[in-house]
Order: sequence, then structure tokens, then C-alpha cells
Amino acid sequence: MRAISQPGKRRSFHIRDNVQLYLIMLPVLVHLFIFSYIPMYGIVIAFQDYYPGKPFLSFADTNWVGLKHFINFFNGPYFGRLIRNTFLLSFYYLVFGFWVPIIFSLLLNELKNGVFKKFVQTASYLPHFISNVVVAGMVLSFINVDGIINVIIQMFGGTPIALNTEPAYFPAIYTITSIWKSFGWSSILYLAAMSSVDPNLYEAAKMDGANRFKQMLHISLPSIRPTIFILLIFAIGSLLSANSEFILLIYNPMVYETADVIGTYLYRDGLLGGNFSMGTAVGLFISLINFTLLYIANTLSRKFSDYALW
Amino acid sequence: MASIRRNPNKIREGSIVVDIILYTIAFIICLITLYPFYFVIIMSISSPQEVAAMNVFWYPKGFNLGSYELIVKDVKMWWAYSNTLIYVSAGTLLNCLMAVLGAYPLTVRNLKGRKWVVAYLLIPMYFGGGLIPSYLLVNKLGLYNTMFAVIIPGMVSIWNIILVRTFFTTIPDGLKESAFIDGASHLQLLFKIIIPISKPILAVIAIYSIVGIWNSWFDALVYLPNEKLHPLQMYLYRVVVQQSVDLKMLSLDDAKNAVANMLSNIQLKYAIIVFTTLPVIFTYPFFQKYFIKGALLGSLKE
Repeated sequence: MRAISQPGKRRSFHIRDNVQLYLIMLPVLVHLFIFSYIPMYGIVIAFQDYYPGKPFLSFADTNWVGLKHFINFFNGPYFGRLIRNTFLLSFYYLVFGFWVPIIFSLLLNELKNGVFKKFVQTASYLPHFISNVVVAGMVLSFINVDGIINVIIQMFGGTPIALNTEPAYFPAIYTITSIWKSFGWSSILYLAAMSSVDPNLYEAAKMDGANRFKQMLHISLPSIRPTIFILLIFAIGSLLSANSEFILLIYNPMVYETADVIGTYLYRDGLLGGNFSMGTAVGLFISLINFTLLYIANTLSRKFSDYALW
Repeated sequence: MASIRRNPNKIREGSIVVDIILYTIAFIICLITLYPFYFVIIMSISSPQEVAAMNVFWYPKGFNLGSYELIVKDVKMWWAYSNTLIYVSAGTLLNCLMAVLGAYPLTVRNLKGRKWVVAYLLIPMYFGGGLIPSYLLVNKLGLYNTMFAVIIPGMVSIWNIILVRTFFTTIPDGLKESAFIDGASHLQLLFKIIIPISKPILAVIAIYSIVGIWNSWFDALVYLPNEKLHPLQMYLYRVVVQQSVDLKMLSLDDAKNAVANMLSNIQLKYAIIVFTTLPVIFTYPFFQKYFIKGALLGSLKE
């Protein structure tokens, strides 16, 4: 064998190679077919009256109902509330949360490297690794009528507030918790971009008489501008994808007015309620919207920066 | 790298007042991030009376491990702990294996139909059937209410395949060529040569999987009505969110125990939060560099 293939010459590529390679990939391809593509096909039940036990994989014995479930959902009593909550919760997170990691990374960049800076970084990343369930459990106990927040309010002479049952407070609780959980980890990309700045730039700026604040404004901030831009575009692209897995943990029927989003409604009414066709229709509706938003974001990103997802 | 990063700060040493302000802000941010955890920990070890009176803010008052004593006797929690270990180890192993199997063929330049395969892999990243079709599928396959329901559907991650592929393309071609000259097949090349030198990227994927699976609960909520199969996070969900498990009734022998009755529910909840989260808090600083590596790799365009 050794004698046949001469060194330096590219080995010819046989059908056998392709067969081998496809066999190697086979488990992945099959898995995706079953667990990603069959559910995509399963979307057809959004246009049927599906009931459990009915074969949704076959076209036989199906009662097609067209867009009935979509129309019912659009005209249903909760449609306006669900869209409003889904949008608002993402919107608050964007408006109040987007700039936090930027400021935080600029701040970290000003600290001297050492144990303290490392500690601040490590501490700020920590909430990202704590499970949603644990964070929800902590938040729920803090906002309870006899929880720490109300104890503090009383210490300052206030009266306890029913934070967990009053709908008006839910958006604030959700937004603050989400920011707390993510700001540190989100600063990583900014820090990485800033660490690649040529130190001579700072030196030159200093010679020109730029003080520390001006150096930050004219060197550090511009260095992360592309990153900010890209992340902002994609944050706008996800304006209708509130974190329903987390909301599911911290909401309760009394705050549905401001807390119920499409994802939680889909779980409650579609899955638990057994309204499979309606739930699939709602899921399809929201994923079409999200895909459209992502597509627009990607197009914008490609146009204004060099970065695009596809 | 280290010296580059240190330099700007050296140059930029400015007014000490500014320094003090910056460090104070950083300290406050630290406090905001860590205090909730600290509060939960000191509450869980303080004396029950002080906890009931909500007197504990800055340091533990009194000392009582009664809540932990109750928790370690909780059979259901240990059951959930061991389930989580099964889910984490099986899931992580499968995730790494599938990422390698999916990534390698994509790095071979002459693969026929590569473009199609890439499209086939990428479409599920942006579009899926959604919760209910997946639920119905898992039911149809007979996986519902079995351990496989939370292991198998999640074992392929396109994201991981992309990360591994990116790493594989940095492996010099000469290494592969010489293996082929020695008569190796693709499978042999992959397992004998490529995987052993890919430990850095496999570590990143493994650690992301471990933490992801350790923290996941929603799949179990949807697919596992049988409480015996619940992972730790589902057990926690029942205790601290649904409040459907009364920790005071953990063991009947202890029900009449005076100490157990004195313990407030909140203290038991905090103790169980600490007990289940400590493994993550203690191991995460060591794994931090892998997480950061993964986050930075993922942000690069392939």
C-alpha cells in the first residue's frame, strides 16, 4: 500500500471515502431527521383538528380546518394581552438591560489587573451559571409578603407590598432579575474586544493631553462599537421572544395580566390543556414572527457591519 | 497577552479619587451580585428563631444546621441527585460524541453534497416544530415518562458541531495525509488521531453540557410525570416554586421532633437551595476559562 500512494501526491478521493464519511455522520443526520424535521412536519396539525391518539404523520383520516386555530387565537380574549406582554417584557429588558454590560465592561477596563478585578469578574459571571429554578426560588422568597424586601420596606417605615400578587410589579421583577442574571456574562464579548486595543493608542492619547475619561470615550468605547452594534441588532431581532421558561417559574395566576406571554400560554393552554392543534398554531405563529425579525436583523447587520449569521 | 492587557492600565494611572470611585462602584456591583447568595446561605445556618423574626441580614445569627440535617435525610432529594448524575453523564458523553461525528465529515473538502448537509444542519437552528409537535413525537416514540425523554432529544447540538468543526479545521492537513498514507480509514483517523488532540474543544463542550443539563428542568416538567425520574432541578421546582413538597414532613419520625417544627419553611428552602447549588458555585471558578473560551469561539463567524 505504501508503495502505491506516492508521498506528496494528493490521495485520490473515492466513493468509498464518501460512504465512510456519511456513515460517520449518520447518527447525527438520523437524529436531526427524527427530532427536528419530523416535528417540523408535525406542524400540519395546526391546520387540523388533532386529538391525541390520532396519527399526525399520515394524511389519512384528517379533518383539515384551514386557519381556524389561527383565527380563533387572533380573536381570542387573550391575544392582545399575550402580544403586549411578550413584547413589553423583552422591550424593558432591552431598554434597561442592554447598556448595563457595556458600562460594566468599561468600568472593568479601568480597574487594575489583579485579584480584585478577577474577583469582580468571577462574581458577576456567577448568576449566569445558577439554574433558573434556583434564581426563581430566591426571587419568590425575597418578594414574598414576609420576604426580605418587605422587611426592608418596613424598616424604613413603609407598609408591606404584595409584590408577588400585584400585576403592576411583575415587569420590574422580571426585568431586574434578568439583568442581574445576565449582565456579567454579557460583558465578556465587550471585554474581549477592548483587550485587543493597542496600548500605544492610550499612550499617544495621553501625550495629546487626553484624560482618563476622554481616553475611555475615544479609545475604549470605539473599540467595542461594532460589538455593541451587532448585539443591539440581534437584541431588536428577539423582541418577541421573552424568556418564557423563566416566567413560567416566577409568575402566578394573579399576575397573568402583565406576566402571561405567548410561550407560557402555549405551555398552559396548549400542552396542559390538551389543545394541541391550537398550541401548534400559536407556536408556528410566534416562530414565524421571530424568524422574520431575525431575518430583518441579519439583513441590517450584513448591511451596516460585516457580520451576519448567514 | 498578559503584558498587553496590563499595559494600558499602567499608562492610564490617573487621579486617585477617580480610582476610589471606580473601585467603590465595582465593589457595590459585587455586593449586588453576591448578596442574594450570601443572604440565602446565612439564613440557612442561623438559628430558627432569628430566621422567623427576619433578623438576619449581614452575618449568621446563632448557628443551627437543623435544616441540613433534615435535608440529608430526604430520600427523594438523593434520588433526584442520582438521576441528575445519570442525565449529566449520559447527556455529556452523547453530546461530545455527536458533535465529533457531525463535525469531522464537514471538514473534508471533497465531501459530496457538503453544501446540502450544511443546510440540513443549519435549518433546525433557526426553525423548529415547537413544543407540541415535539411532545407528541416523544409520546409516539414511547419515550414519554422514561429517562430517554430528557437524554435523547437533546443529544445533538448544532452549536457544538460548529464549534468542533472550527477547531478541526485548524488541525494541519499533513497530519491527516500521513495517516491516510499509513492506510487509515476516516473513522480510525478521527478516533485515533483527531479526537486525542481535540481535548481543548471537547472540554469546552463537555463543560457547557454539564452545566446545561445540571440546570435544565423544563424537559423534565414536560416529559416526566413520574417523580422518581425527576432530576434535581425538578425536585427543587417542586419544593421552592410549586411548594408541593412539605419539607417538614420529610420523615415521619422527625415530624414530632421539636427542632423540626421550629424550623421555618423558608429556612428549609434556603438550605436545599444551598445544598443543590454549592457544587456549581465551587466548581465554576475552575471551569470559568473554558466557559469564556466557548463564549468567544461561538461569537466568531465560522
